[in-house]
Amino acid sequence: MKRLSRLSVIALGALLSTAAVPALVVSGVATQAHAATLSGGFDVGPGGFQGNFNPLAATAGFTWLSVYYEPLITYDEKLQKVVGALASSYEVSSDQMTYTFKLADAKWHDDKPFTAKDAKFTMGLAMDAKTGSVLAARLKGISSVETPDNRTVVIKLSAPSSSFPDTMTKVMMLPEHALSSIPADQLAKNTWWSTAPIGTGPFKFTKYVSDQYVELAANTDYRGGKPALERVINRYFANPAAAIAALRSGEIQFTYVDSNDVPTFKDNKDFQVIEGNSFVVNYLGFNHDSPLWKDVRVRQAVMYAINRDAIIQSLYGGAAKPANCAYVADQLIPPDIDSYAYDPEKAKQLLTEAGWDQINGGKPITLLTYYTTPLATNVLAAVQAMLAQVGINIVPRAVDAPTYNSIVLNATPDIAQFQLVYAGLQNGPDAGSINVGLNEKQIPPAGPNVARVRMPDLTKALDSALAEPDSAKRDAAYQDVCKVMNTNLPWATLWVANRYGIVSTKVKDFVWTPAPGGGPYQANPQKWSIAE
Amino acid sequence: MLQYSLRRLIIGIGMLVALSMLIFLLLRLTPGDPIDAYIDPNLPMSPSDLADLRRNLGLDQPLPAQYLGWLQQALTGNLGYSIKRLDQPVLGLVLSRIGPTVLLMGTALAFAIVAGITCGVIGAVRRNSLADLSLSVVALAGISSPAFLSALIGLYIFSVRLHWMPSGGMLTPGEEFSVGDLLHHLILPAALLSVAQAALIMRYMRASLLEVLNQDYVRTARAKGVREFWVISKHALRNALLPIVTLIGSTIGLAIGGAIFIESVFNWPGMGLLLVDAVQTRDYPVIMGATLVIGACVIVVNLLTDITYAVVDPRIKVG
Repeated sequence: MKRLSRLSVIALGALLSTAAVPALVVSGVATQAHAATLSGGFDVGPGGFQGNFNPLAATAGFTWLSVYYEPLITYDEKLQKVVGALASSYEVSSDQMTYTFKLADAKWHDDKPFTAKDAKFTMGLAMDAKTGSVLAARLKGISSVETPDNRTVVIKLSAPSSSFPDTMTKVMMLPEHALSSIPADQLAKNTWWSTAPIGTGPFKFTKYVSDQYVELAANTDYRGGKPALERVINRYFANPAAAIAALRSGEIQFTYVDSNDVPTFKDNKDFQVIEGNSFVVNYLGFNHDSPLWKDVRVRQAVMYAINRDAIIQSLYGGAAKPANCAYVADQLIPPDIDSYAYDPEKAKQLLTEAGWDQINGGKPITLLTYYTTPLATNVLAAVQAMLAQVGINIVPRAVDAPTYNSIVLNATPDIAQFQLVYAGLQNGPDAGSINVGLNEKQIPPAGPNVARVRMPDLTKALDSALAEPDSAKRDAAYQDVCKVMNTNLPWATLWVANRYGIVSTKVKDFVWTPAPGGGPYQANPQKWSIAE
Repeated sequence: MLQYSLRRLIIGIGMLVALSMLIFLLLRLTPGDPIDAYIDPNLPMSPSDLADLRRNLGLDQPLPAQYLGWLQQALTGNLGYSIKRLDQPVLGLVLSRIGPTVLLMGTALAFAIVAGITCGVIGAVRRNSLADLSLSVVALAGISSPAFLSALIGLYIFSVRLHWMPSGGMLTPGEEFSVGDLLHHLILPAALLSVAQAALIMRYMRASLLEVLNQDYVRTARAKGVREFWVISKHALRNALLPIVTLIGSTIGLAIGGAIFIESVFNWPGMGLLLVDAVQTRDYPVIMGATLVIGACVIVVNLLTDITYAVVDPRIKVG
């Protein structure tokens, strides 16, 4: 008995002292990162794809991947034109079917030279679905990849495709000498990606601590010059609020933020707000398999009933542009399209003409969405109220993305579950990317045309724009797409919102562009630097 | 005793298999699968690529075949590969997360036991005093505040405003490992995680000690002239602690729930963070692996609680 109580006293003492130790060390440990190290939440937000370092499997996350891997070609910093990266130059034949890439004099991180054989090997991996490549279908149009010499790669297509350069910016070059011995179907499971990957970029992979951070060290031999920073660290955050907390406490110097978090940083001299186009058009997608939306006057009424300017001003703080087709870029919009200015009276009149009382009347209509942010909830509440005023009774239902996908991509879906969707689709920098959501040939299970849009005029306009080799004529062709969308209203297009990054003002020459999927684009990480 | 423990262990293994079947079935009943989680609706992928992925991952097989395949592999110790991070075996992922979770929960439990018992004793001994009343109010607030709320408030005060603590993670990225750094990252999440448990322990401790203090043998001890300190520490406390042992064992489940929130707010690389992330991406193999390990831990903890109880109080006969 005596021994036991003495033991418990000792145990209590030990516990108390463990509790006291942390309190003593707290003041001694610095929270600031080393100088010459830039830490950021590079994969936070819609452009990120946390935890997977395999560029063949990446649908997003290129902001980070392109710090150590490089594609042959990439977008410029403004996402306006495609420029050379690992290819010092490239040429396109007049029929738009042969692409010739001249390779730069580059080295892998293990000092072996980068050659045309590596490029051909990478294309082989990216075109082979067995490797887990998410690009395989997009590269199906390739008929051959040839390497006439060590510094030249010639890619031939079976038909011209204006989207080919855009796809090529996402093919990160991989070293044949490190990966050729791994069978294609085992490649995705190989630990190489998260332990010892090598690329040709300005930084080398040094360490990954599962779900905590990745550390890269400067590649002092980089052909674009020795990097100014010693290290770049990408931290992972399970929760966006945690990323903002880390930014404000000085533990990281950069992260993506939602537009509602911008005001807290706007007048703070320690931070710079980076603003840019999201390239994602938000829309109400009418399910064209539903009898509710057959009459174009009903779809027009939805456009007239929503006060988009009010929503943009009050909920987005002005940081969005109204969209009257899938695009907001000037060169893609014909001058004479309808702007569908807010007009609830006209909406009511159109609904009366169409006989809305007989079609549906006040019965509730399920609106499905995968947007679960507070902003989206507010937007939908406003849209619900505005549509109710003209007699359309929608009920928003927000689910997570996998649930949404499983409902809308189903080959034989239950129409009652999604008579209407609130969604977004990327509309740039390659204007052709909108095709998958609107072309009749892309109706599930063939593709992601979830609104089941069956409009021959639109399909024809999209097909001819995609096949148009001349870039000036291509813009005109996309104007046709815009015009058809504006008249036939496959979707009630709403707006294209801006995206925001916040960077510490201590960081110099930093480039971040709010690109779909994170880019890639010319970010020049070798030039980034940080003040002490 | 040995026979009892063995029997409990065998029942535990049966429960684990039943748990794995249940989780497997529930996962398949939720809409969406890992392939659906792969697609960002803003940047859709081609369905033929998705079909290839589905085939490569064996998700096109019928359910019983998928489960039996999983079970067969699991019996050999292979829990498969994470779907989101194909280059990471599930077993390795889960094992690497046990340490951080045990560290976090262990520290929180230690905080909770020390604070809970101390405050409970103070409350019982100084019954209805100002100290007792204020501790009761604090305990009530502690029990009623959900873990995610106290986590966010704690994060805001100590990390964002005061800059005393790091806002997340287990170690400072890019720095060499040091115990001080680890403790610096540990103290805030562990303290916040311990709040609810400490409050619960305190209330039970207070009630239990009050009950014991009214017993005859305590009065006898006092009558014999034993000093009050010894009456409480030697005679009353030991008996009052008995129900607390059971309580602590049974709140482990509660603590796991709290740990999931705390880990995700503080980015603590433990089982909770892994599980939340896996559920969001429908990463079946990881969900199965993590659930099994958590289930095994709960079963083992319950077994240990019962054994400890029998050791502390020999009157309890097991057989």
